Amino acid sequence: MFLLILSYVSLFAFIGLSIYKAYQYGHMPMHGRQDLYPIPKEKGKGHYGGSYFEETDWWKKPRETSLFEEIIDMLKEMLFIKKLFDNQRPLWWLSYSMHLGIYCLLAWTVLLFVGAGTELSGIAMNSGHWWATIVYHLTFITGLAGALMVAFGTAGLFIKRTVVSSFKKYTTPQEYFNLAFIFAVTASGLLVWINDPGFDYGRNIARSMLTFSPIEADAALSIHIVLLGLLLIYIPLTKMSHYVGKYFSFHKVLWDNDPNLPGSKIDQKIKTAPVVKPQKSWSAPHFQPEPPKTKEM
Amino acid sequence: MINGKDLKVQDIGKESGKQLTKIDSLKPLPKPYDQPGMEPPLTDPKPEWSEKYCTSLDGYVALDTFEKPKTKEEEDELVRKFLSGLEKMLSAETNKGILQPLMLTLDYCGKCNTCSDACHIFEATNGHELYRPSYRAEILRRIIKKYFTKSGKLLGPLVGADIDLNWETVARLGELAYRCNLCRRCAQTCPLGLDNGMIAREIRKIFSQEMGIAPKPLHENGTVKQLATGSSTGMNKAAFMDIMEFHADDIEEMVGVRYDVPIDKEGADILLIHNAGEFMAWPQNPIAFTIIFEEAGLNWTLSSDFIGYDSVNYGLFYDDGQARKIALRQQEVAKKLGVKKIVIAECGHAHKASAVYADRLTSAEQKIPVESYLPLLRDIVLSGKLDLDPMRNNFPVTLHDPCNIVRQMGIVKPQREILKAICPQFREMTPHGVNNYCCGGGSGFAIMNALNFGEFRNKVSTRKKFEQILNAFQDTIDDPSIPKYVCAPCSNCKGAIRDILEFYEATEKYNIHYDGLVELVVNAMRKFDRPFLEFLRNEE
Ligand code: SF4
Ligand code: SF4
Repeated sequence: MFLLILSYVSLFAFIGLSIYKAYQYGHMPMHGRQDLYPIPKEKGKGHYGGSYFEETDWWKKPRETSLFEEIIDMLKEMLFIKKLFDNQRPLWWLSYSMHLGIYCLLAWTVLLFVGAGTELSGIAMNSGHWWATIVYHLTFITGLAGALMVAFGTAGLFIKRTVVSSFKKYTTPQEYFNLAFIFAVTASGLLVWINDPGFDYGRNIARSMLTFSPIEADAALSIHIVLLGLLLIYIPLTKMSHYVGKYFSFHKVLWDNDPNLPGSKIDQKIKTAPVVKPQKSWSAPHFQPEPPKTKEM
Repeated sequence: MINGKDLKVQDIGKESGKQLTKIDSLKPLPKPYDQPGMEPPLTDPKPEWSEKYCTSLDGYVALDTFEKPKTKEEEDELVRKFLSGLEKMLSAETNKGILQPLMLTLDYCGKCNTCSDACHIFEATNGHELYRPSYRAEILRRIIKKYFTKSGKLLGPLVGADIDLNWETVARLGELAYRCNLCRRCAQTCPLGLDNGMIAREIRKIFSQEMGIAPKPLHENGTVKQLATGSSTGMNKAAFMDIMEFHADDIEEMVGVRYDVPIDKEGADILLIHNAGEFMAWPQNPIAFTIIFEEAGLNWTLSSDFIGYDSVNYGLFYDDGQARKIALRQQEVAKKLGVKKIVIAECGHAHKASAVYADRLTSAEQKIPVESYLPLLRDIVLSGKLDLDPMRNNFPVTLHDPCNIVRQMGIVKPQREILKAICPQFREMTPHGVNNYCCGGGSGFAIMNALNFGEFRNKVSTRKKFEQILNAFQDTIDDPSIPKYVCAPCSNCKGAIRDILEFYEATEKYNIHYDGLVELVVNAMRKFDRPFLEFLRNEE
């Protein structure tokens, strides 16, 4: 029962803590503009880095933005880590291996639940039913490929950060630990997999979670489940939650070039922002409330 | 002294009183500056400077108002003030305008070093660790970890809370904040969208806003002077009016035609604001604007009101309080005149300060819209109103993209459309547009010349720009009879480029000149029987 509860708790903690993190960032005060071009949503101009500032009387012209272009750019970054690919290829191979591996494992997790659902509906995975066959094989491919890529990526990144001086100097013990932790979870999963190549164990866990029944696990599987559960709780508490940060840093900071025009959302925000008289202020002499004023000499 | 490759973030507070590191090599310049003896060597700081200033980072001094603490009490006070500033930097109450972007950069850096190769200063020093964009950010991050987080207090070095915060760390960090041009090229390449340029500016803010320490040219002789007299040049209203009295005469002398300059014209469509430095250093620039605006028949005006004749806003580089006061004052001037819009002339940081930085300072109804002169100039040039002869600009011309106008405002095409229409030999720098490199004078460097800081600018921060300029003219560099023109449509960039050309004697030896964009437009006007550009006039 402990393993079942841990599975639920870790899954909900991962989702809940990630949402809380996003909530914290989302509720910070509106910041001043930090536009950095190219901004993909600038319709017809995003590809070369242009903006509405290229027009005379820009405020009189309809503001043309393209959510599609922005999403495409975000997807390139999310699915492909394009900036790293363009600017630092040697690191990209390792980082992308890890990230693509994680995406595969996310797909694998979904497939485990689909498989468990399929079994619960009376179709066994080895029944030869076309649907079960597809699910079984996709689960196998995403699970194995994902685990191998994550293991390769994390091990590679760990070694690179130990060996290459320019990385080593900046890496803290915690950051080594993070990589080692992910590697340990994947390696423990691969150890379980060796005796269970079809990932039946994964579907059993999913089935237990769907039916609220205890998870049956030997020592190796128990260790794997505990490690994975702890990792899921740990990730959102650390900078590994950059899947949250990245949304804000691009969408809400670098690409937020919406002008403050009468009636605009920005204008509304400024008008409705609570007026609080700050208790604290900066201490430099020129920062004091009534600076000496000599208007003209 | 620790060499550039071995330097670590933990070293920042070590070897107190001694110079921590020095620039051990510089990236070679292209032909013809690839030969020995073509540039003055790097020099060491004068030993006596170290008694008063902080020369203990890399030997250069940007903070000419910083005074080394003399007693243990003064040392402790420096650290205390820094920590108090850091606390305010992290508080929504005192720093709400940047809190979200700041926390993202502090929280999420993946230490991937992707940003490093984007930085022209890191590149110019052959990858000296001190100038890695993430070096200063990581120091700040670790100090915050140690003093402001539970995990740092509990786990210390395990989570990176391992920087000794002594007075030397503070002093060196203050200097280090002025080894960055705030060009934000690094932020463009960060896979997580983080901004190390912003971190440098936040450190500058702590020094200025909390500790009262900022470079004299930016603060005392910059914003303070501007808020006292109306201009960072010290030009008050009477002095401005004096200059304007001769403006029409100067124009007549230059082009043989008289144009009167509208000043304080109420209800004009456009309030044009120049960087007041132009009136002193490059008067041909406001002259060219007057000619173009008058020939185009625009309903425009200059202002003689307090701060209304100087678009400069050095607060943008180091201090939010000063930046805010200046930006709001410019808006007031425009409102008082009842103009329809403010147009910012050839000054990059003024563009950003007025159009972007100030955009969310007040509600929309209280603002007069701000636009760059570039789209307006493009419309004028392409309309055919000026009768332009491109052959008058028939010499190699390249374009510098000011970071504040291009990377930080997205104005890329208008200047190119103009140059393509009036300069038959226009060629781009590589790279250009939003991927351009800073001129090396960004964030105040262009006007910071105290002690040896000019050397840092000329040898290090402008190095990449000089390389780009030389590369753009490789086809004609060997022929000094052909004039070559660097079009730099920004006062600060022009200042930095003027200094490089002088420092490397590039005008004298290779006939490379610089100036703005409007000067090229006027030079192409058939209406005038003589060239407008000085080097062409001298040739005649
Ligand atoms: S903002 Fe510019 S100068 Fe500063 S670290 Fe980044 S690239 Fe270098
Ligand atoms: S590119 Fe971004 S994540 Fe990578 S080191 Fe630089 S700031 Fe950090």
